[in-house]
Amino acid sequence: MPNYNFSPQEMIVVAGARVLENNKVVFAGTGLPMVAITLAQLTHAPGIIPVFEAGAVGPTLNRGLPLSVGCSRTTSKAMYLQGLNAAFELAQRGFCDFGFIGGAEIDMYGNLNSTMIGQFPEAYRRPQLRLPGSGGASDMAASCERTIVIMSHEKRRFKERLSYRTSPGYLDGSPDARQRAGLLGQGPYRVITSRAILGFDEATRRMKLLATMPGETVASVQEHTGFELLVDDNVYPYEPPTQEELRLIREEIDPRGYFIGRKG
Amino acid sequence: MDWTGLSPDEARKLLVNKDKSKRDKRMDLARAVATFVRDGDNIGIAGFVNSRQPVAAVHEIIRQAKKDLTLSFHSAGLAVEYLAGAMALEESSCTIKRLEFAYWGIELFGISPMLRYLAENGKVELEDWSNFNMSARFKAAAMGLPFMPCRSPLGSDVMKANRAKLMDCPFTGTPVVLVPACHPNVALIHVQEADMYGNCRIEGPLFTCPEISMAAGYTIVTCERIIDHEEMVRDPNRINIPFFAVDAVVEVPFGAYPGNCHSWYYFDEIHIREFRSAGEAFRKGHKDSLRSYYNRYIWGVRDTDGFIEQIPYRQLKHIQQIELREFQLMRSQN
Repeated sequence: MPNYNFSPQEMIVVAGARVLENNKVVFAGTGLPMVAITLAQLTHAPGIIPVFEAGAVGPTLNRGLPLSVGCSRTTSKAMYLQGLNAAFELAQRGFCDFGFIGGAEIDMYGNLNSTMIGQFPEAYRRPQLRLPGSGGASDMAASCERTIVIMSHEKRRFKERLSYRTSPGYLDGSPDARQRAGLLGQGPYRVITSRAILGFDEATRRMKLLATMPGETVASVQEHTGFELLVDDNVYPYEPPTQEELRLIREEIDPRGYFIGRKG
Repeated sequence: MDWTGLSPDEARKLLVNKDKSKRDKRMDLARAVATFVRDGDNIGIAGFVNSRQPVAAVHEIIRQAKKDLTLSFHSAGLAVEYLAGAMALEESSCTIKRLEFAYWGIELFGISPMLRYLAENGKVELEDWSNFNMSARFKAAAMGLPFMPCRSPLGSDVMKANRAKLMDCPFTGTPVVLVPACHPNVALIHVQEADMYGNCRIEGPLFTCPEISMAAGYTIVTCERIIDHEEMVRDPNRINIPFFAVDAVVEVPFGAYPGNCHSWYYFDEIHIREFRSAGEAFRKGHKDSLRSYYNRYIWGVRDTDGFIEQIPYRQLKHIQQIELREFQLMRSQN
């Protein structure tokens, strides 16, 4: 792979920012989603309204990048400041256009695992690897109108079968599976990884390759995916970050490099 | 239905028979924990991940070696990590029997070595929920209702290993999840300001602290400072927890350290990393650094003052300044 002047995390953040539309309400978890939202606010989408599950709605994030969705920096100039119930009730009511989530594993229907690796339910109480748990991810997956998933793109994470389904995507992919389950939002909209931008086929709900990140090809993305991807007819090479996007990330948003890995 | 803390009927009865008068509830933390926390209790852990975690109260529970605890929380980091570390080092001291939770991790600092240790060795009963599920469970309890309908986690495996019930809504006919009320025996809550009667004023996100205080049988509040009652009632809209939902008021400066306490101090990244890496070393079989951490900061001191006295002044000054200054000013200084 050629030597690019940006890290995989920077590419993910830039893609996450670009996919966001102006004047939308975005429910975001800790980490890269916060960087992406801030970048979008500083570029094409100044009207984005962030919602953090711990309680802050619509802050300007000008006190520095929050290190947690519950930390002090989420409240600067917030326009509503309550707690978890209020935040999730907003999502359930339909106020949140996008939810930004992640997980340790994803399947072809956009279902995510952030709970455990091992046999479920047999080994639930003694898993091979215990992960932190749902947090608010399954709530966002259930109730935000559309979700954007950020993933590290490795074969062991893009799996045919999840150990445990924490956050619902299109479930088994059958028509209207989400509606029948009682879920409100439309489901996963984009999966953004270090290797690709992916979406979901309208008919089959299967994950579909839309664009390849710099240095990747359709074949290399498939090679790092543990199930067969659909490939969009118009698959294209994704535009790398601009110098201005990189400057904003490195100098304005995350100057200490908390969430953005630096090229060594 | 097995109620793991108080059943709704027990919770109602306990409250009805409680003295709800407006009286001085100040006491020291050792007495508050000795009075209100019992072996076998279900403990509601307030705060959120590493923010306003009841660290001081948890350290005292460790010193008093409470056993067979059930911990109920949505997202927690430091408080539960400390309890689990004590159990991992000395199973004869503090023990956790069961977890009812949505997220246990140290967020930016990494996943939790202690949750991995407990879960992967089969040392605790687990019951996973989502954050909204847990906050809705506390809210149901605070409302005096046995359950709350909720959209999540429909379609998730989260429901296959907990006590949530799926039903068709009697009005729309579509599926909803019912999550059972969570009435902890005792709640641990850290706030910025309280008066002597227990009225609390919270800065920043409320998390689920008000609901947890009303859900629990007893509530121990630790606060950065006790303020005059007249000052508190000057702005009644700013009282987030009313006095009769509180049983003990303990002034503990730095009571959420090394976590974040909005408007008072930010995370101490240095200390959190020190504690987490000792836990990670323990999980990998090197037990000494975690033991010396506990000996130095928890078992070897009498109270939170003894813990904070050992933190370098410059570290404390730094985390206070982050809260006091605009970020731009901080950056131009560094």
